[in-house]
Amino acid sequence: MNQSSNTSLENLISKSSEIRKDVVEISIAHGGHAAASLSCVEIMVTLYYSEVMNISPNNMNDDSRDRYIHSKGHAENVLYSVLSDRGFFPREWINKYYRKGDCRLGGHPDKDIPGVEVTTGSIGHGLGIAVGMALSAKMDCKKHFHFVLMGDAECTEGSVWEAALSASHHKLSNIIAIIDNNAIGASDFLANYSSLDKLEDKWKSFGWNAVSCDGHNINDLESIFKSMIKSKSSKPNIVIANTIKGKGVSFLENNPMGHVMGINTESEISRARKDLEGIT
Amino acid sequence: MLDISETRNLQMRDAFIFKLYEKVKHDKDIIIISNDYGAVSLDKFRNDFPNQYINAGVSEQNIISMAAGMAIAGKKVFVYSIASFIVTRCFEQIKIDICSQQLPVKIIAVGAGYAYSEDGPTHHACEDIAIMRTLDGMQIYSPSNAVMTSNLVDISLDTSMPMYIRMDKGIFSNFKEDINYDLGLDVDSLGNDLCIISTGTIHNVAIDLSRILFENGIKSTVVDIFRLKPLNTKLLSKILEDHTHVVTIEEHTLNGGLGSIVGDHILDNALNCALKRFGIIEGGIYVYGVREEVRKKQGLNALDMSISIVDWLK
Repeated sequence: MNQSSNTSLENLISKSSEIRKDVVEISIAHGGHAAASLSCVEIMVTLYYSEVMNISPNNMNDDSRDRYIHSKGHAENVLYSVLSDRGFFPREWINKYYRKGDCRLGGHPDKDIPGVEVTTGSIGHGLGIAVGMALSAKMDCKKHFHFVLMGDAECTEGSVWEAALSASHHKLSNIIAIIDNNAIGASDFLANYSSLDKLEDKWKSFGWNAVSCDGHNINDLESIFKSMIKSKSSKPNIVIANTIKGKGVSFLENNPMGHVMGINTESEISRARKDLEGIT
Repeated sequence: MLDISETRNLQMRDAFIFKLYEKVKHDKDIIIISNDYGAVSLDKFRNDFPNQYINAGVSEQNIISMAAGMAIAGKKVFVYSIASFIVTRCFEQIKIDICSQQLPVKIIAVGAGYAYSEDGPTHHACEDIAIMRTLDGMQIYSPSNAVMTSNLVDISLDTSMPMYIRMDKGIFSNFKEDINYDLGLDVDSLGNDLCIISTGTIHNVAIDLSRILFENGIKSTVVDIFRLKPLNTKLLSKILEDHTHVVTIEEHTLNGGLGSIVGDHILDNALNCALKRFGIIEGGIYVYGVREEVRKKQGLNALDMSISIVDWLK
């Protein structure tokens, strides 16, 4: 894959297709949470390949870089695919170290991985950490942004709402959170166990600038992110990105058990590859 | 700046925060985050340095994550809370966000043991040592008086590791001037019939016990372990090698506290000491009562312990 970012919409869509296929191949070869990664491919591509985030392998020691926190740490396949493709670490690390040997690339991201700012894996931590980072940046008059990707099921953690209150109280407009709103938790549809609907209203009532969109539409995502970056509002920002869990692989798509399903059997592997090639 | 004669008569938290106040004058990166918990010293701190004090409300999970984020950003963060709330309610955040990322966040916690005795089990911190010592990389200090507590400010600013400082509530003015803080423990010896080891303010009871035992012809060494982790294993072994009988005294459950730490050390090093542990036994945590009475029910007073020890040493 191409290791440099090319920001035209056509290229971003093409890149999403590449990354989605890569996530599937990584899942086939090494395991991991395929469905949770497939739902946020376009979000990750928009963040890492458009001009939204100022993060690159060359500026990781630059204090003015933006910060990205992968709070839904179980979507590690897509993170590793993107980071290796962007050149944060060599591609061969995925074959050598992902869930192998010293697990330099573990089943959830560790801060020591190049390009990873914060260790995640237990959900509900990332936003609070971002609040601390963003508040420090604000105290020191720094201008960079803090992007945080969370899952919708993650929002059943009380700590998320503690952090939400804190962010709005401190007017942390330097936070742009994204909810990968795929409507499914680890074992069921979210609607079957939590009243977490009307997410946009909930976040607005907590003092956030909340916008909903199709989380697979790169054009919309990019436009919303850029508008949040340019905004003069003092509110923290959140994008409710409506997505399909397991997007692109028919037997994972919108499957309430998709979170724990792999792409393991010959028929599953064949079906997944054909799905991504558009073969019925 | 307060001198020792003023510091010794302060609450431990005030001794610590007033000392920290002096540091903040020259360091804009020092931050105190409180969970809506006050102190006389904190009023002065937040009045004079409002940008370096954050009342984050009663949101302990967020406080620890936020503290981690601020430490990642280069801030020197002190989290200030009642001990029982900040140890257990947000333990996973302490483990993952602070310890696994090896961030130098300092948790200054008030209310060791039964310090909030009348307030009951929700406010007791009788398991905190056991819990916090399981954390990889976490340093644990348990000072026995206000002067010692104020001297932990420099130590806490100098270390790049996470730290938990277990403070009592009340005035504990007895102190020694010649303590070597690098050692992590302090020793006073009248003789080698018995070694009495304590941590925290119950050290004062250990001193009383030593006096009573002396009157009964038993000469003891009194050890105040104010740094429980990392333990000064070398010095502790040297002390224990000179004793055949050891007692530990703690206002903490016997499940995993000071007695367990010393017991582990004796076992790990095959030391030839008999160990007797005084602390809170099963059934002693979910209780209310005036502190001295609650302690007495657990046998944590000098007279009762002396009777038990005299019998033990026969």
